[in-house]
Amino acid sequence: MNTKTIPLERKDVEKTTSLPLRPSSLVAVVVLGVLALVPALVSDSFFIHSLIMILFFAYMSTAWNFVCGYVGQLSLGHTMFSGAGGYCSVLLFTQLGVSPWIGMIFGGFLAAFLSVLIGLPTFRLKGPYFTLTMIACAEILRIWVENTNDFYGIPLKGAEGLVVPSMGDDVWAFQFTSKIPYFYIILIMLAVAIFATRLMERSKLGYCLKAIRGDRDAAEALGINPTRYTTLAFAISAFMTALGGSFYAQFFRYINPERNMGLELSIDMAVMSIIGGQGTVLGPLLGAAILVPIAEAARGTLGGSFLGLHLVIYGLALIACVLYFPKGVIHPLGRFFSRLFGLKETRG
Amino acid sequence: MTPILELANVSKRFGGIQAVKDASFSVGQGEILGLIGPNGAGKTTAFNMIAGFFKPDTGTIRLEGKDIAGKKPWEICEAGIGRTFQLSKPFGDLTVVENLMVGGFARNRDRRVNREKAEEMSAFLGMAAKRNIEANNLTAFDRRKLELGRALCTEPKLLLMDEVVAGATPSEAGEMVELVLKVRARGISILIVEHVMKVIMSLSDRVVVLDYGEMIASGPPKEVVSQPAVLKAYFGERYVQSRA
Amino acid sequence: MDFFILSFAVTNGLLLGGIYGGVALGLSLIFGVLRVVNFAHGSFLMLSLYISFWLWSIFGLDPYLSALINIPAMFMLGFAVQALIISPLIKRESALVVEPLSALLLTAGIFLVLDNAALMAFGPDVRAVQTSYYMPSLMLGGIPVNSQRLIGAVAAVIVAAALSWWLRTSHLGRSIRATAQNRDAAAMSGINVPFVYAVTFGIGCGILGLFGALMSTFIPISPSIGLSFGIKSFIVVVLGGLGSIPGCIIGGIVIGVFEAVASQFVTATSAAIGSLALFVLILIFRPAGIMGRA
Repeated sequence: MNTKTIPLERKDVEKTTSLPLRPSSLVAVVVLGVLALVPALVSDSFFIHSLIMILFFAYMSTAWNFVCGYVGQLSLGHTMFSGAGGYCSVLLFTQLGVSPWIGMIFGGFLAAFLSVLIGLPTFRLKGPYFTLTMIACAEILRIWVENTNDFYGIPLKGAEGLVVPSMGDDVWAFQFTSKIPYFYIILIMLAVAIFATRLMERSKLGYCLKAIRGDRDAAEALGINPTRYTTLAFAISAFMTALGGSFYAQFFRYINPERNMGLELSIDMAVMSIIGGQGTVLGPLLGAAILVPIAEAARGTLGGSFLGLHLVIYGLALIACVLYFPKGVIHPLGRFFSRLFGLKETRG
Repeated sequence: MTPILELANVSKRFGGIQAVKDASFSVGQGEILGLIGPNGAGKTTAFNMIAGFFKPDTGTIRLEGKDIAGKKPWEICEAGIGRTFQLSKPFGDLTVVENLMVGGFARNRDRRVNREKAEEMSAFLGMAAKRNIEANNLTAFDRRKLELGRALCTEPKLLLMDEVVAGATPSEAGEMVELVLKVRARGISILIVEHVMKVIMSLSDRVVVLDYGEMIASGPPKEVVSQPAVLKAYFGERYVQSRA
Repeated sequence: MDFFILSFAVTNGLLLGGIYGGVALGLSLIFGVLRVVNFAHGSFLMLSLYISFWLWSIFGLDPYLSALINIPAMFMLGFAVQALIISPLIKRESALVVEPLSALLLTAGIFLVLDNAALMAFGPDVRAVQTSYYMPSLMLGGIPVNSQRLIGAVAAVIVAAALSWWLRTSHLGRSIRATAQNRDAAAMSGINVPFVYAVTFGIGCGILGLFGALMSTFIPISPSIGLSFGIKSFIVVVLGGLGSIPGCIIGGIVIGVFEAVASQFVTATSAAIGSLALFVLILIFRPAGIMGRA
């Protein structure tokens, strides 16, 4: 075969530019690095709190994107994993005295197990059918917890929710009087999630998921068993989501079905990914960075007088995005910056 | 030499319709076999049973002696059969190289190796200049070639091609014929389902004719098309008329 | 189980189920024609409940009479939403059908806007219409029948029948059905597809206008009421087969009776979980619904 004679006019961008990293990795490293310095520069507690919220939602959205963005399914039931994870770690702590650090890992495996149980039969459902099934599953869990005070001796406390007793500054109990440790914990969690997504995207799993998104029949003909790869990705995503749920419960020292299992958090995760750019490594972070400040501003400065304002804005942003930036804001933004820095357009 | 693919008494029924009835034929090592027949003759059904999209009701399908009937498409791929689709199904938002890489991952987990293999394949397809273009932005014919390349990246022993030149211009059809011959030169056996007689005549070493689910003839293309049964099955179609 | 209580539960379930079916009609119609799962369906119902409430509260208009304003208002709203928001998406897609997820996302955006705009405008308080007159319960074979619900259920059956008849016989109805079959072929036969889509969406919402008026007489109204009705409508429509109009009423009745009877034996919570579980099972095992062609 005479393939060598055809000139390849340009190799990967990573080889033509002198940057040590691909642009998207570089952006991630710079953003996370700058964020790590923030607590040293700013001590305003509200500001740190808002940053934690941005990072938290970015993390949750990244976990959501890990499967939904890459395989092209819209799950609006991911809160069942954060809820299961959060309840698991809180109950293990309050009932058995297990450190939330260990409890959250248990919660992660519980959620992963749940995701396999639910994902195996439902992942072959298409589009809206899958979405509705996921909503229904999450609602089943939420309604059940909301109406169950005691489950075989486990005090779920229904709609009232669970309070994590205060232990002061106790690393083992995942409790800190300052917000800064929480800030670094969620920052590290986000960095790991982004790194995991990056790794997945370039691995066989990533290519398989994108192939399934593109065309299921064609993917099967290329040796991909869709159930196997989607279930695997779904389980990893559920695991990550559950860790986020545990973090949330520890940060607020409170967990209840409505906030931790309700539809709203699921929608938040999905909307941030979609607006930022689903199926991209940094899309969810961008989406959270755009949307969460709106929610924080509406909540903080207007003193809650405009209940629901931020969700109206989320809704409008979602509509605008679907109509004008169906691949998310990250694509036009990426193109703009590539042009600005004179880089050739790259993918990912 | 044992044939690479051997169908024995394969039947498939959809409700009241006998789509394929007792079909037995084989593809030899390195052979290009054309599967032809009028519309609704059961070609695509037979094709899909080999590819694992349908499970045959009865009969065996052997790849190098191993029965693969009823296996799932991804198991068929792993066993060494690649396929293309009648309507090409590229992964639209992936580039040409990325599309090809998906095929490569069926055999190899290493991204770098797959990337190199995909680059080579894009050159083999004559698409080196287009290798970083998203499949969505390709012409219909390029998509068809891409799909062929993607199947080749799974390193098949046997390639199943469904309607290779549908919708192609004459010069594109010529290019595709050449490409298929180049694929065969790599030692890959090929089974083609095709409507365009000219393509079948110039490509196939042998053809098998199906009509109403039954095999009515097989042999070298020139001989087969003059057999009365085949002429009867095709009677009325323009190709036969023009020869008559 | 007391036979009287059981038959009371069944009757109640039938009535409520009929209303569920009526509410779900628009969702089913819109899906059948546009292939769009309208996530904001419940929000439109919520809006029409508020229309009737405010007409009663400010102008003292009887809720049943408010249907005369509610229906055209909701029709126009639906028409406008389709023409201004969803239509650009459909135009962008070159394929025969809209990519279902984009459309779902778009209507999810509308859901977020409507529900939370209502929350901002009306506050989280639960409101109720109190009519000045008392509507006594009818007695049917010794079983008391709530007349407001009876009216709702009967209206559902009438609307479903009328809609089927209209779709079959009228010129516009035929255009709608043709568009549902094949959008491109319909367009080539001279049908103004965007207009047909907008009218269909308008009708789907107009039906909600009617039920908003009818239901405002016995349903406590709050900004978040839409979602639960939206989810219930999805269950009904999936059960009856997406796009099937008689299936819608039957699906509604199945769910209504199921919940009413089940809540006699188990808690209302378990009954609600049961109907969600039923929904999931049907989606997994029989996605075309119990009435649909498999």
